[in-house]
Amino acid sequence: MERRAGKGTYITVVISVVISFFPIVWLILTSLKNTAGIYSWPPQYWPDPFTLENYIYIFTETPELLRYVVNSFIVGVGCTALTLTAGGMAGYALARLRLRFSTGLMLMILSVSMFPPIALLPSLFQSFVNLGFLNSYLGLIVAHTGLFLPYAVFMLASYFATLPVEIEEAAQIDGMGFLQIFTSIVAPLSWPGFVATGLIIFIFSWNEFPLALVLMTQDAMRTAPVGISLYPGEFAFPWETISTATVIAIIPILVITAIFQKQILGGLTAGTGK
Amino acid sequence: MAQVSLRNLGKSFGGTMAVEAFDLDIADGEFLVLLGPSGCGKSTTLRMVAGLESNSTGEIWIKDKRMDHEEPKNRGVAMVFQNYALYPHKTVFDNMAMALKLQKVPKDEIEKKVRDVAEMIGLSDFLERKPATLSGGQRQRVAIGRAIVRTPDVFLFDEPLSNLDAKLRVKMRMDLQQLHARLGVTSIYVTHDQVEAMTLADRIVIMEGGVIAQVGTPREVYDEPANAFVAGFIGSPAMNFIKLNRAEKGWRSEGALELPELNHFDLGSASTVTLGVRPEHIEVLPPETPADAWTYDAEVMLAELLGADALLNLSVKGEELLVRVNGTEYPDGGEKIKIRLAPERQHAFDISNGTAFPRRA
Repeated sequence: MERRAGKGTYITVVISVVISFFPIVWLILTSLKNTAGIYSWPPQYWPDPFTLENYIYIFTETPELLRYVVNSFIVGVGCTALTLTAGGMAGYALARLRLRFSTGLMLMILSVSMFPPIALLPSLFQSFVNLGFLNSYLGLIVAHTGLFLPYAVFMLASYFATLPVEIEEAAQIDGMGFLQIFTSIVAPLSWPGFVATGLIIFIFSWNEFPLALVLMTQDAMRTAPVGISLYPGEFAFPWETISTATVIAIIPILVITAIFQKQILGGLTAGTGK
Repeated sequence: MAQVSLRNLGKSFGGTMAVEAFDLDIADGEFLVLLGPSGCGKSTTLRMVAGLESNSTGEIWIKDKRMDHEEPKNRGVAMVFQNYALYPHKTVFDNMAMALKLQKVPKDEIEKKVRDVAEMIGLSDFLERKPATLSGGQRQRVAIGRAIVRTPDVFLFDEPLSNLDAKLRVKMRMDLQQLHARLGVTSIYVTHDQVEAMTLADRIVIMEGGVIAQVGTPREVYDEPANAFVAGFIGSPAMNFIKLNRAEKGWRSEGALELPELNHFDLGSASTVTLGVRPEHIEVLPPETPADAWTYDAEVMLAELLGADALLNLSVKGEELLVRVNGTEYPDGGEKIKIRLAPERQHAFDISNGTAFPRRA
């Protein structure tokens, strides 16, 4: 049955879009104003004069901001790759091997994600000091993987559960082993699930703040959110640079999300209906 | 060639027995059909033979080798699934070639074998296509081709025609018969469709609640059902059952239907019995026919035309009977008619356990 959305529905949608988008739009507008425009009263809604000087300034005068973005990218990609590999295998085992305590295992994995990461920080910091993992990409990648793996296991396991099990059984009779079935049958068939999960993990890692703040103490190793937040100097608060750096930091995410939006939606809703 | 031997096979899922005490020898080249309602254990039995389920009790022997601890790939079986279970991301050729590739068969040999089988089942033009571009019937053909390419000792079919539409199902059924006649490979075929079972099987195993209810040729299970379950399951529409109690003279139903002595059965000392007559075995007689001990007056409650046949719902002394008659000329609802329950077409079952009473010679 086809249902037409009523006026109320549209109004609700418009309100939610405005609420969630206003900060981003304001951020982008701010990045296009000059200093006088930012501090003017009454506030300027449309940049006047419209200027790209903040962007030029960041690319020419503050290479550290770009460095933060690159760091975030390295950590995000590494964390995503590691999470998908481990999460895919764990999720497949939970979805298909008739493990005796699979429900219990799943709950345990999920319960890990209930700890506020901040509570883990002191012990994690000490362990990383002992391991020599501070200020290393690998260190933060491992920390983020530990933090986000439960989501990946859960999402991928529910995706695998939607695949018809007979395909894997046919492969078993054809002579494939468990790992081979996973790599050559299940993984290729599950790529929408992997894309959706991977993107979410990438975004989580990109935005993660507390661990990145504590485990990356050298300025050159900071990730974008940490670097930008620490950018304000002692006496001034350079809104124009911060907003511009933030816009630059969210662009990669926006681009990737735009490219894969179909897979994200498909992967997130897989298994919720026929 | 192969012979499959299942000895005391059983499977329990968390304490409940899905299959119990399954004993059967399957001859070389035989086409065996496992038939039963859903949940009767037929698929579980097949999956145990395939090695997709482990068996809780008993042994599985294929070609005089004990197989129940072997990996599926080492059992010499090939399986066709209800939903085709093709590899969606691989071409038809790669789907069919997969098992041979994994066995490290030389490439040119694989090529030749796959092309030969594709030729045989009419898939030569589709080898480079992906399964998604094929129709349901073609996909099931690919699945069957994939099974043939392996030259297995045993074919296992798990309701392979259930996803196809009615017309295609009939066509594929005939194709399967021809294929079996040509290849002569021992086959075990699971279905809940009695028409498939009757037409394809050398022998039918009818299962109920995890145990074998009867094993026999299609003729045997139709003509001599071993118990009331088989009698009611085989045949469409289902057999009429009338509960009878011993009366002073002969037998009497819960209604008011009176029957003479059932001397053609060896009833022992039973004081109750379930009498069974198939709808197609009740004769509708012209009104002027002289009455005998087995003729009764009946009233047509409802007449339904099916095309070639018609079904009459009859009321006979408070008992309801379904009769199948020729569809060209038949009485209307409300008409009074005469019917005959021929003793040689009757079946009698023990009310307590459903077992058929033997017929006296």
